[in-house]
Amino acid sequence: MKKIIFVLLGLVVSLSLTIPAFAHFQMIYTPECALEKGGKIDLKLVFTHPFEAGHTMDMGKPEQFFVVRSRGENEPKKTDLLQTLKPITWTSLTNSGKAWETEYSARGGDHIFCLIPEPYWEPADSFYIKQNTKVIVNVGGEPGKWMEPVGLPTEIVPLSKPYDRWTGNVFQGVVMLNGKPVPGAEIEIEYMNHKPLLDKNAFAKEAAVEAPQDAFVLQTIFADANGVFTFGIPRAGWWGFAALDLDPDYTYKDKKCSRDAVIWIKAVDMK
Amino acid sequence: MPRVLALIGLIAFTLLLAVPAIAHTPLCSCYDNGDGTITCEGGFSDGSSAAGVAIRVVDASGKVILEGKMNEDSEFTCDKPAGSYTVQFDAGPGHLVEVKGDDIVE
Repeated sequence: MKKIIFVLLGLVVSLSLTIPAFAHFQMIYTPECALEKGGKIDLKLVFTHPFEAGHTMDMGKPEQFFVVRSRGENEPKKTDLLQTLKPITWTSLTNSGKAWETEYSARGGDHIFCLIPEPYWEPADSFYIKQNTKVIVNVGGEPGKWMEPVGLPTEIVPLSKPYDRWTGNVFQGVVMLNGKPVPGAEIEIEYMNHKPLLDKNAFAKEAAVEAPQDAFVLQTIFADANGVFTFGIPRAGWWGFAALDLDPDYTYKDKKCSRDAVIWIKAVDMK
Repeated sequence: MPRVLALIGLIAFTLLLAVPAIAHTPLCSCYDNGDGTITCEGGFSDGSSAAGVAIRVVDASGKVILEGKMNEDSEFTCDKPAGSYTVQFDAGPGHLVEVKGDDIVE
């Protein structure tokens, strides 16, 4: 009997060891963040593990999805997009999960797309995860108010223009909770290593890079005493930043809920 | 002599004030609103306002068919001209942006 327990224990340990250290990332995906011309753009909301194109979680109906458009010195204008969302099924390399999509007609300037998702119950961790997510799309090169907080409960506010990064530049941002910087916030970073295929609602099988060891799948940095973080961008493509558990005492339905803030940026090669 | 210098300084200053955002790239995009009108959005690459900047619509022969200024939101909306036309966003010498009517779509 003791032997059996021992064997079972061994199995459990080895199984848990084989689960790679990857993180949940709320994606707002669109192919380009710096568009030459206005027009219709596709947006996909997927809660997944982007580096590995791994397990995709079922998203509930988002609490909020909107865009704040600003151009030049004009006052930013908020447009609700929640009713435009259509349910889709997103296929990862290991499963498929409920996700959302919409289409948006963009004109000039900055468009800050903001998602407040329904908290996701993570059975593996026994807590909820709520990742308020931003992505900023610019049309035509005329800047707007990309540097201003939108006012999400948890938010990463960029200090570097998020759509003008060359590969090798740094990206800086401030992690905020209720409009105040979060000193020492922990930030996880993942590279979108598998191209999202818009027509198939799936990740491409081919990976762009291979991690030499699990630590590289999910990079970790901390914000400084002012809530500011800095990241050197080593490769062109989309990079996701998730500041985790910004309000440790927060609960949802009497359970712990990790309040996270996510931002996606895209770097391009100089050539 | 100091008076002359002051005068030259004043003139230079006035000239500077009169030139709108000249160090920055002018930008103008136009869209077909789908209701028989077009809207042009003007601006500069540094995000400064284009309010008051001159805008013209010229026909195929270069004749001005419509003239106006960017409003306080740096926008200009007008009826979509018939035939071939070009929109000119004129932010001063060397700062002209031309948008061809054929490129103005929804």
